[in-house]
Amino acid sequence: MRLHSLALRDFRGVKERIVRFRALGTTVVVGDNEVGKSSLVEAFGLVFELPDDSKSTRIRDIQPVGQDVGPEVTAELSLGGRELTYSKRWLKNRSTELTIVEPDGRRQSWTGREAHNEAERLFHENVDPVLWQTLMVSQGQSLVLPTPADAEPLITAVTAESGTPVDGASMPLVTAVEHEYLRYWTPRGKPTGDYARSAKTVSAAELGAAQALQAMEEVQSDIRRAERLNLDLSDVDTRLSDHLKSVEELRERKKATDEILLRRDSVRSRAETARARLENHTRTRLDRERLLDEVERFTKFEAELATRRADADLVAKTGAEMVQAAEAALAEVVELKDLRRTDVQAAERRVSDLMDRAELDRLLGQQTELVDVRARIAAAGTILDRIKVDDAIVAALEDARAAVVEARAALAAGVPEVSVRRLGAEPVELSGTGLDGAVPSELGFDEAAQVLVSGELVIGVPGQLEVTVRAGGEAATLRSRVDDAVRREKDLLKKAGVKDVAAARELLRKADTATAELNEARRTEKSLTAGGDPGERIAVLSARLGPEDEAEESGKPAVEGVPGQMSLFAEFAEFASPHDTLFDDIDEPAPAPDDLAGAQRVLEEARSGLAEVERLLADAEFAAAQARKAADEDRSEAQNARARSELAGERLESAVEALDAARAVLDDDGVSAAESEATADVEAVLEELTVVQEQADAAGADQVAGELTHALAVAKRLQGERDTLRDALRTTEGRLEQSGRDGLATRRDVADLELAAVRAEHDSLERRAEAARRVYETLSRHRAEAQTKYSEPLQSRIESLGRSVYGPSFRVWLDDDLAVAERELDGVRLRVEALSTGAQEQLAIITRLAISHLVSTGEGSVPVIFDDALGWSDKARLRDMGALLGRAGDHGQIIILTCMPDRYEYVPKATFIKLDA
Amino acid sequence: MDESITFLHSSDWQLGMMRRFLGPDGQARWGQARLDAVARIGEVAEQTGAAFVVVTGDVFEHNQVERQTILRACEALKRIPVPVVLLPGNHDALEPGSLWTSSQWQAHAPEHVTVLTETTPFQIVPGVELVGAPWRSRRPLSDPAAPGYADLTPEPGIIRILLAHGQLTSLSGGMSDVPTIDQTALEAAVADGRLQYVGLGDRHSTTKVTDRIWFSGTQEVTSPEEDAPGNVLKVTIGGDEIEVEPVRVGAWHMVDHRVELFDEESIQALEDWFAELPDKERTYVRLAGDGSLPLPLLSRLDAMIDAQGEVFASVERWAKFWTVRPAPDAADLESLQLSGPARAAMEELRQALAGGDEGAGAALSLMHRLARDAG
Repeated sequence: MRLHSLALRDFRGVKERIVRFRALGTTVVVGDNEVGKSSLVEAFGLVFELPDDSKSTRIRDIQPVGQDVGPEVTAELSLGGRELTYSKRWLKNRSTELTIVEPDGRRQSWTGREAHNEAERLFHENVDPVLWQTLMVSQGQSLVLPTPADAEPLITAVTAESGTPVDGASMPLVTAVEHEYLRYWTPRGKPTGDYARSAKTVSAAELGAAQALQAMEEVQSDIRRAERLNLDLSDVDTRLSDHLKSVEELRERKKATDEILLRRDSVRSRAETARARLENHTRTRLDRERLLDEVERFTKFEAELATRRADADLVAKTGAEMVQAAEAALAEVVELKDLRRTDVQAAERRVSDLMDRAELDRLLGQQTELVDVRARIAAAGTILDRIKVDDAIVAALEDARAAVVEARAALAAGVPEVSVRRLGAEPVELSGTGLDGAVPSELGFDEAAQVLVSGELVIGVPGQLEVTVRAGGEAATLRSRVDDAVRREKDLLKKAGVKDVAAARELLRKADTATAELNEARRTEKSLTAGGDPGERIAVLSARLGPEDEAEESGKPAVEGVPGQMSLFAEFAEFASPHDTLFDDIDEPAPAPDDLAGAQRVLEEARSGLAEVERLLADAEFAAAQARKAADEDRSEAQNARARSELAGERLESAVEALDAARAVLDDDGVSAAESEATADVEAVLEELTVVQEQADAAGADQVAGELTHALAVAKRLQGERDTLRDALRTTEGRLEQSGRDGLATRRDVADLELAAVRAEHDSLERRAEAARRVYETLSRHRAEAQTKYSEPLQSRIESLGRSVYGPSFRVWLDDDLAVAERELDGVRLRVEALSTGAQEQLAIITRLAISHLVSTGEGSVPVIFDDALGWSDKARLRDMGALLGRAGDHGQIIILTCMPDRYEYVPKATFIKLDA
Repeated sequence: MDESITFLHSSDWQLGMMRRFLGPDGQARWGQARLDAVARIGEVAEQTGAAFVVVTGDVFEHNQVERQTILRACEALKRIPVPVVLLPGNHDALEPGSLWTSSQWQAHAPEHVTVLTETTPFQIVPGVELVGAPWRSRRPLSDPAAPGYADLTPEPGIIRILLAHGQLTSLSGGMSDVPTIDQTALEAAVADGRLQYVGLGDRHSTTKVTDRIWFSGTQEVTSPEEDAPGNVLKVTIGGDEIEVEPVRVGAWHMVDHRVELFDEESIQALEDWFAELPDKERTYVRLAGDGSLPLPLLSRLDAMIDAQGEVFASVERWAKFWTVRPAPDAADLESLQLSGPARAAMEELRQALAGGDEGAGAALSLMHRLARDAG
């Protein structure tokens, strides 16, 4: 299409105007705002769009304000080779006229509606609306990048250029396919709409079904559980009942065995008692044996003691005899001593005689002292005269003494010895007859008295008690013997005029001394006479020695006539004694020497003999004393023995008593009999016990109880088991009942049903969706391929145009709709949206020019119309764009409407048309 | 046959059963139909003067069917005027939580209905003893019929009827995963007069095993595979005679139909076949199809099947056996006058289909339609 001229009348602010355009090249229509530049474009649009009778507000709008006139538009244009003149008047005296000059010059005209229709038809036939819209840039749209993919002429053009066949009829198909695709998928390829929904429903249904199934499976498992539980339960029940049976049996057994046990217990207790009794009997037996044994022992003992006693007595007696012997020996020695002494005396007398005689020679010298000496002699003589005791008497005395002692001993031995001691405050009186020893009539506190009682002794505690001790029968004789002995002794003592033997001996000794003194005095007298008063001495001597004078004349016979000498010897001779030695020298008796020396020698001998004898005497006395001591000891021994044997006697007695007492209760045979009987009993009972025990063991009596308790425990456990099982079963069955009530199976089936249904639906949807996608994707792919093929011409066109503005580095990429998607400059590739406004505008213009360039050759070409474009470009770009627009003019009709002519001053060979108000 | 006894033998009512392929409406009507069939058994009982009715197992589809099912079943049972004896089968076994012991059943079970829960013989009418072998678990460990007659001894003058449920060794073809019923043993029991009739259940097709051993089959068809469903057996025993006669009580049909589709005629033939079927609204058709059709015929086929789907209770393409392919011939495509990318795309799809790409088939038909409509 080429637009040649546009004539407006009464159109908005325009009264009347006609604008002519260059058929080829650029026409720049310059006019200030409101002069109606845009009106041109609008007018061209309206004249084809609205019939003259249109009531559209757009018509009202174009009526000049406040003028009742009809807006009129006349357009001259060539269309599809035809030349058209098309004018239309709205509102007032409406009219439509169309004149067409065919290429062959034929001329046709239409008016009114026909004209409109014909014009419309022609326009649509030859002008692709898309392209028209694309290339007519009305005010403020200059930035919008064209998307010309569906612009047929363009496609044709690019097709022509690229040689790719493009199917025109596919456009609706494409839309249909896309529409079908979008029913199921989002542009980004996600399921949507019913398809997405059905997917959801399916998953929901699946969930529901799964739950229902789950529930049903629980039911199944419950059923299985219940079945199992039933089995277990019956099993446990049988086990339990069996077990209870066995428990019962155990009970029975226990009852039986309990009886046995009872019996065993009784037997046991009986065994106990039997044993006890046996023990008793054994004890008695042992006691009895002990008793017997004691009695035996004691008898033996007693006997022993008796013998011992006897022995002791014997010993005592012999002791006593020995004492007597000793005493006897002593007596002999004493006699011997006397002999000796007599010898000494004789010897002395002899000596003195001899002295006298010797003195006599010296009498005169000792006359003066003679008197005194004679006095002393006289004294001694008187003493001697007064002493009636001689050795014979002493001996008698001593015999008497011994007799007394012996009697006493006998008495002491024969009668009880009572010893009393006062312990308390009470006075103790002692009285009685035939008592030996100091017997005080009363005892002081803690005083003691020991009394041999041969008569009777009365011990009394006035007001408290009186004890009378009487001696046995023989005591009296003993006593009398003692008395006799004492009496004899007393008589002798009286005769001797001494109080006792000791005294007698004393006297004897005195006599001796006196004699010795006498002799000494005489010696002195002699010496005196020898030394002094011989006269007197002579007198005396003559007095005394008168006879001796004669004796002196006949000396020897006098000496031989010493009385008693011979008898003494005789006695000695008779005396058979162990002291023979004593008499050795006596055997040949020394002849009384006449000389003093001899006499003195004799005297010495006599004296030594005496000394000898005295020694013997001492020994004898010692021996006697020993004997006596021994005798005393033996006696006390004997007493002890007696005492012991008495004690033994008592014990024996008591033992016998005990035995008798025991026997009185039960005699020995009885005892042993009882014991053996008891033993028999015990054995019997034990026998029984073993039997019972055997029975118990046989019956396992002792285990039964344990077994029973154990069995009961087991039973309990089993019952517990059973109960738990029962409960479990009940609960399970309860659940099952419930699930039955809920009709779970039905629910599951329903759920399955629903699921199946929705699945089916979903599946079909899916099939459809998949088909849709398959188609969509396949088609898109093929279209994309095609488009990339035939978008190349446009792209290269745009780039060649662009390079004149931006230089060689300028490149663009188109999208499927052939719209510029990206631009690269100096290696920087940017999406269009990212470009500066200016750049976008320029790119938009360039694209349009490129499109128009492409289509310019074809039939469907249309003018490129810019209404106030390039508002955003700087000077430099304006120049380049200008150049570009100019070049574009070489290939097509370009119409630029602007109020800024200087924007386009660089457009070469552009026709400028100035519009004036 | 004088002093003969007549009774009805049915089984596998499967009340509460669902059939996915029927769709909600069909399901509802079919469910009702199964009850109606039960009611019809009542009518038959009246007409034939049956003394009682025995149902040998699977009265209910599950032990956990919904309340409605139970109550309606009780209603249907009330329509049977003679004593009814029900045997628990594998579907409604006497397992824990069994429907039979549920309060719902016991609350609503009619007076004249007896459920065989024991294997002890039970006199239903003078001279007739029923012995049942009820299933106590879904998984019996041994011959499920054996307990019924194991320790029976022949009793002259007594007609003894064994009610059992399960597959026969001979018929199960060894496919059964639960123990099967020992047929020889059964026959022996019949031969030595311990049993006069054996009513079996579980097999939905009426099946005569021997003169005296029968599967009654279900009262109303449940699957196209069943070859003789929808009957009740009228059994008459007198002396040594026995007469068993199937009486139809079912109203539904379930059919498999196999078609070869390759041209217009074959489609026409299918249409005619559909047209001739009776009781369409009570018929379920399962189509097995093979062949390939030009795109227009394919769309026509689809349209036709959809239409029949409305008329019939349900018409299903048997997914497993449905291999009808679109076979676009050049003419189809030419007629669309496509060129450029569109044509190229279509060509690609066509080749893909030829290469056995099912998806491509659908895509192709779609594009065909769109192009046609757009064209």
